[in-house]
Amino acid sequence: LKILLVEDDPLLGDGIRAGLTLSAFAVDWVRNGELALHALTDTPYDACILDLGLPGKDGLAVLRELRRAGRATPVLVLTARDTQDDKIAGLDSGADDYLTKPFDLDELLARLRALIRRACGVVSPVIEHGDITLDPVSRQVSRGGEAVSLSGREYALLLDFLTHPKHIRTRGQLEESLYAWGEEVGSNTVEVYIHHLRKKLGADVVRTLRGRGYQLGDART
Amino acid sequence: MSGPARADRRRSLRWRLIAAVSAAVLLIWLLTGWLSYSMARHEAEELLDGSLAQTGHLLLAIIEDDEDELVGLASRLARARRADDNVYEPPLEFQVGRGDGTVLARSLDAPELPILGVVGYSDIVRHAESWRVLNLVAEDGRHRVQVSQPMSLRDRAALEVAGQTVLPLLVIVPLLVLLIYFSIRRALLPLDRLASEVAARTPENLAPLSGREIPTEARPLVASLNRLFARVGAALENERRFTADAAHELRTPLAALKVQSEVALLSRDAPMREKALHQIESGVDRAGHLLEQLLRLARLDPVQRLEKPVPVGLNAMIHQVVGMVEGAHPGAQRRFDLALPADEVTVRGDPELLRVALRNLVDNAVRYSRPADTVRIALTTRGDDVAVTVHDSGPGVPGEVLGKLGQRFYRGRDHSVEGSGLGLAIVTRIAELHGARLGLANHPDGGFVARIEGLRAVPPGRLKR
Repeated sequence: LKILLVEDDPLLGDGIRAGLTLSAFAVDWVRNGELALHALTDTPYDACILDLGLPGKDGLAVLRELRRAGRATPVLVLTARDTQDDKIAGLDSGADDYLTKPFDLDELLARLRALIRRACGVVSPVIEHGDITLDPVSRQVSRGGEAVSLSGREYALLLDFLTHPKHIRTRGQLEESLYAWGEEVGSNTVEVYIHHLRKKLGADVVRTLRGRGYQLGDART
Repeated sequence: MSGPARADRRRSLRWRLIAAVSAAVLLIWLLTGWLSYSMARHEAEELLDGSLAQTGHLLLAIIEDDEDELVGLASRLARARRADDNVYEPPLEFQVGRGDGTVLARSLDAPELPILGVVGYSDIVRHAESWRVLNLVAEDGRHRVQVSQPMSLRDRAALEVAGQTVLPLLVIVPLLVLLIYFSIRRALLPLDRLASEVAARTPENLAPLSGREIPTEARPLVASLNRLFARVGAALENERRFTADAAHELRTPLAALKVQSEVALLSRDAPMREKALHQIESGVDRAGHLLEQLLRLARLDPVQRLEKPVPVGLNAMIHQVVGMVEGAHPGAQRRFDLALPADEVTVRGDPELLRVALRNLVDNAVRYSRPADTVRIALTTRGDDVAVTVHDSGPGVPGEVLGKLGQRFYRGRDHSVEGSGLGLAIVTRIAELHGARLGLANHPDGGFVARIEGLRAVPPGRLKR
């Protein structure tokens, strides 16, 4: 799943990116409002973490422009200002959630998962598809009650399919979801990961639609 | 009553007014009493002297006619005793005799005096009682009459008159004092209301005191209070904004430290953990720097003027500061171009603060310029005026940002450059303390210029002392 991080502080940005990457998110990081708007318009991010105190165009302006352009990308606002008015202004400008600095990385991750879950219309925190279950908190996957061990990228790929159950995902879309900017993408890595998923969870977990892409397989009980 | 309460009363306007007015009323009362006593006494003297004279002449006239009737007259008069309760009907005491001093008749209680005394009134003390005595002689000198009255009679009369004037006041004076007390209380009520209004003021509510009810006498005080409220309010507002900004600026590095340490704990591979630890280290440095700047500003804020300005040589200090900045940015590749007068320029000031100010300016010039850029530092004098100019050949700042530079926590240029946003605010404050000001501008030929101007030169002659 792909996240856009908008944060001007180098140290904090670096830390959040590292933390999210550890949790199998692909993170693009921009440091000012203009770049954030461009990125959000060009790429379908699963969520955006937006700092309000940005140089140039500030976070609230970015948020308002994004919503005016009709983009529904879930946005979690980060800010050092903690007064009631600031929170209200943030939420009213179109933020979906709000975190005050300093915060727990765990809390940031939990809120991010909740945001993405809500955006996909999923209610339960544990995602179930037939006999496949995925717990985003413990990042445990099982099929038919038996735990399956997945690598980070394999997990991220399965999560992408499960959060887009009806979608046909092209190879490009999947690559974008798995990799942040500047990360080396091998020529056939997506195929390799799909191969691994099929080996660990059964061949029917992902369906190949020749010439169009991939889709989550039918639920099996 | 305890000591402090008594001291409080002494200082209370109300008590002082009540005491002063009551004392004045009492004094006037006593004065009135004394005056009416002495006036009444004078009147009584004249009145009683008159009756004494009348009696004397009457007796003299009677003796003239018939000396033999005198004994019978004396006994009849002795029976017609006076009325005790009327001062103005005094007992008649007399002695009647011949011109040679033989007494022919006398009243029972008359003082035993020779009747050969000087003609006219005299005051005489006889057996511990004082008497008013009148001696008269007949025209032919054959008979003498002596009439007398006890002196105490006059005192009684005077006291009675004075008492009638003063005694009603005994009831009126307490009433008057009570009335004074209540009217003073009432008159001072606006002051009480004012006091409770002032007491209601808190740091959150420093609204100016107003109202038509403020007594004229208290207006200057209220005006001063209102000015004080305004100043305190402004200072508090400043403080509040500063605290909010400081909280804001401290939270971001704290958040970064927290996230980086969580990453260090979570990551399983060594390079990632090491990187996070390095980030934590530089984050701590940054937070330390920020804190130092904050404390410096907090210390400078309440200072009104320099404690002990001393002569400070600027040429040497600039060389020293450039060395410090170069050391702090190894590999920065900036060229320093110093334009300093040949003679040492000395100004009056605080060497530590001036060094901080110069360092901040030179440091900014290095941070916000590019490799191979030049930082030009010029020291110029015009008369007593000394100016230090730091001009970098970097990209300068956008016009709309220029006005906000120097505001606390405002970080105008590139945010990726580390900084607290306090450096220029500190320089501005230090310049103010030296009676100078900080000017910031883009140079017409490119680059950014920061200039401290208005430092006071110390004439070389004064240095020798």
